[in-house]
Amino acid sequence: MKRARRGVVSTVAGAAVLIIAACGGGDSGGGSSGFAPRDKVSIQGQEISVLLPQKIPGGLPAEFTRKTGVRVSVEVTSWDAVRSKLVVANTAKTYVADVTEFDWSFTGQFAAAGWYEPVEKVLDPALVQDLAQADAAFDVGGHTYAACYSNDYRLSLYNAGMFTAAGLGEFPKTFAELGPVLARLKVSGVRYPLGIPMAATEGGVTPWYLLTMAMGGQLFDKDFKPLFADPGSAGYRALRFEVDALKNGWVSPGSVTFDNGPAFDQFAAGSSAILLAASPGNLATANDPKESSIAPHAKPALVPGVRGPGTTFGLPEGLAIPVTARHKDAARAFIEWWMQPATLRVLYKDAGMVPCRGSVVTSMATSGELDGGAVLSDELTHVVPLFPQGAPKWYGQFSSTAQGLLNAAVKGDMSVEAALKQLAAKATELATSGS
Amino acid sequence: MGSDILTREVHPGGAPSGPRRPVDLAAREATRAGMLMMAPAVVTTATLVIYPLVRGFQTSLESGDAAVGGQPHFVGLRNYGEVLGSSTARDATVHTLSYVALAVTLELALGLIVAVALHRTFRGRGIVLAILILPCALPSVVSGVLWRRVFDPDSGLLNSVLEQLHILSQPQVWLAGRGWALAFITLVHVWGVLPLVSLILIAGLQSIPEEVYSASAVDGATPLRQFRHITLPLLRPSIAVTLTVGTVWATKIFDEIYVLNGTALNTRSILMEVYNTTFVNADFAHGTALAFMLTAVTALFAAVYAVTFRRSTT
Repeated sequence: MKRARRGVVSTVAGAAVLIIAACGGGDSGGGSSGFAPRDKVSIQGQEISVLLPQKIPGGLPAEFTRKTGVRVSVEVTSWDAVRSKLVVANTAKTYVADVTEFDWSFTGQFAAAGWYEPVEKVLDPALVQDLAQADAAFDVGGHTYAACYSNDYRLSLYNAGMFTAAGLGEFPKTFAELGPVLARLKVSGVRYPLGIPMAATEGGVTPWYLLTMAMGGQLFDKDFKPLFADPGSAGYRALRFEVDALKNGWVSPGSVTFDNGPAFDQFAAGSSAILLAASPGNLATANDPKESSIAPHAKPALVPGVRGPGTTFGLPEGLAIPVTARHKDAARAFIEWWMQPATLRVLYKDAGMVPCRGSVVTSMATSGELDGGAVLSDELTHVVPLFPQGAPKWYGQFSSTAQGLLNAAVKGDMSVEAALKQLAAKATELATSGS
Repeated sequence: MGSDILTREVHPGGAPSGPRRPVDLAAREATRAGMLMMAPAVVTTATLVIYPLVRGFQTSLESGDAAVGGQPHFVGLRNYGEVLGSSTARDATVHTLSYVALAVTLELALGLIVAVALHRTFRGRGIVLAILILPCALPSVVSGVLWRRVFDPDSGLLNSVLEQLHILSQPQVWLAGRGWALAFITLVHVWGVLPLVSLILIAGLQSIPEEVYSASAVDGATPLRQFRHITLPLLRPSIAVTLTVGTVWATKIFDEIYVLNGTALNTRSILMEVYNTTFVNADFAHGTALAFMLTAVTALFAAVYAVTFRRSTT
């Protein structure tokens, strides 16, 4: 009997050893920097994995392989899924990819958690210098955690064909002018002239951020005190505008379940005439006859404001190297190859990604390669950061709460006042607890 | 030799009468063989079930600041208390209970109708059964995407048909209001689960001897009385299985809601709240606390069904 018990004990002990071995194997990357001097490292024959929220032109990875001998496997999934994957894998200190998406909104949390390698001393100094302005969104505590690859910001798009048919000329410069324009478009036969995604997603809250800034406000003060709960505030008026747009029939009732993808699809299908919060890359797609039925009538416009064009904000996206990456030197080579002017031009032309390198943007604007270049350049002068003091580490929780509450307000499940008061209380709690 | 061992093994309480050595040897070998055969199952279960459970429970008792660079520390049951006090979690609980009540009722009622209809043999029954199983074969995300096209406010089939029939004058956003949204999401869920429920009930019906019906018919029982006094009582074990499966699946509802309405507050289930807390907010402590509470409630439901039906069938 004792021997039988001993047998059970040894079986369980064996199982425990295997569990420990299995679990111990999870941390494949370690926490060290792991970069070798450029002249002492060979990356040829290595294979890296890249995790992105959007497709890149099919031939590009092969081009990198041809130049460096490094094979690349690109995994593409939705933005929200990318974030979830990064949070889960990095919390478990497990390998997720060698190069990953790094959105501006990740900066506070991911830097505090120590999940990414600072890149300012790893990448070519000339490249770091050229990216400095755009990379400010990825700076925390004296370190830069990503190299910006998509100079995303919000601007407005409109269908010039529909404007002409409605007897309208220029795009409105203020919100006071916007109302009559929308009414005129509606009379001319555009059932829902305005496209605003309002689903309970990140894409559904971005227009509220934009409208808040365009109406002359900010979300928080310098101490992260919320500024949107007061009925006179820009944040309050911005949400009120969204609710009224639904009530007035300017926006499709279905917008309350739309993310930015379907909202853009409606614009490209000619179902709406104005997109207030579009990405610069949307312009090229909307004017591509293969992907849009309104080509070539899509035109860019400055986001309306209170007395003239309003403020907008940047949502730069970067490439970063997790501390758990297996081939950090190859990952660095991949980022540097991506940032070469020729690669950036292909990415803009075929994937609508506006480059972040100052020298490349200037060169493309000068040569006329940037579609709607003058307006895009003009809008860039109105771009300010959503969080001038840097994205807080609790941004994910704030955004997730905002998604639910703003969606409830536009659906009429809550009043604008109640939704924003609740959001302000949550933001105050997060800022105070520092979690 | 074998019979000798068997004889000695069954002596109650007393020592076996024969020599001890061969018995010990054989018992030891049998034990060792048993251990070896058990080992893969023990290792697999311990690695994939027990360890994550223990680790998850440990996480639910710690502070949730690991994902923002903090050092987790023991906080006891504080996370459980905070989750219980959260209005979002409370709303999600109410939604989940609504899904469960609606889904289980519909699955049982419709499942019984389908099972009774398909129990009898008729021409083309095989084809009908094959068609019936199709929704079950579709991943729930795919069925959610299909149904989204039906409910789409601008170009969806439902609005289009109702407008053509002049029942609606303007498009309805079916997933905006809480009532319609909960009902339609439940319908999509039931659409996917109904085939399995029906098959379980058909199998149950086929196990009832035909003679029982023949004898009752001789005694003058109408089909309705036969259903009430023969079919339903003898189907109890199958009904218990469908109720348990239906409850557990409805409690875990996620894909259909996520595809049809995202993380909107008006339709969020507990599992979605777990997902949102854990992966969107990166708050593993509160997320796992909520997940353990959900597990406990699901297990409780299953236990209640099992006990109730065991009592009623014995």
